[in-house]
Amino acid sequence: MAPPLDISAYPPDGMEVRLIERFTTLKGRRILEVGCGDGRLTFQYARTAAQVLAFDPDRASIEEALDQQAMLDIRNIAFRLGSVEHLPARGAPFDVALFSWSL
Amino acid sequence: MVHALRRAGQRLPAGGSLISIRPHRTWRPVVSIITPSRRVPVAQLINSAFDSRLAAAEAALARVVEEGRFTLAGIRNHRYRARLDNLSQLRTYLELISPPRPRFPAGRRAQLLELWSSQPRGSQIEIVESLVVTALRRR
Repeated sequence: MAPPLDISAYPPDGMEVRLIERFTTLKGRRILEVGCGDGRLTFQYARTAAQVLAFDPDRASIEEALDQQAMLDIRNIAFRLGSVEHLPARGAPFDVALFSWSL
Repeated sequence: MVHALRRAGQRLPAGGSLISIRPHRTWRPVVSIITPSRRVPVAQLINSAFDSRLAAAEAALARVVEEGRFTLAGIRNHRYRARLDNLSQLRTYLELISPPRPRFPAGRRAQLLELWSSQPRGSQIEIVESLVVTALRRR
């Protein structure tokens, strides 16, 4: 049987986190991620972050992220369906806001 | 996007970071054929529908800096590549990109098919993509 194809138009795992960390560390930080999709990038840094609130407007992507989160047993991520414009202006602060491939 | 940046900024303390990762606007994806002895560039993919979104994102980032909400901490450009074994994998690669998807300029896909059919065994199709990371600091 042929091995599963590992084809992605995104950068290899770890590259984006390394580039981000040239500007700021993500370790121990409270992170707001906008446009998280299926959590592809979120899962790369979440284990070392303090907390993550991750938004995406696509329901299927958020459901996939939640499934993956359960499988990986990572508990410091809150995935939310919606856009950052719906985030209340007041509330607990974040250290880093990450707009990941969201335009 | 400027509203999203402003809203995120409201939840960042002074010194907090806002990071934008997105495709590079002018370094377009380049498709090449890689043989054991050489690289043959075939096409730069185009995506005019997406270009306007990238321009809007850049304008929005510049806007929140002009408004005095953020300072520019830095910009990094970076390239990365995917190597594919055949045309079927190239099709899958392009289909995995969220719409609007890039496309070949007129005539270049046919040129790729023609070149590919004459390449030696073990050749690959390479796509070089580019991204830009913009870092802003909350004032």
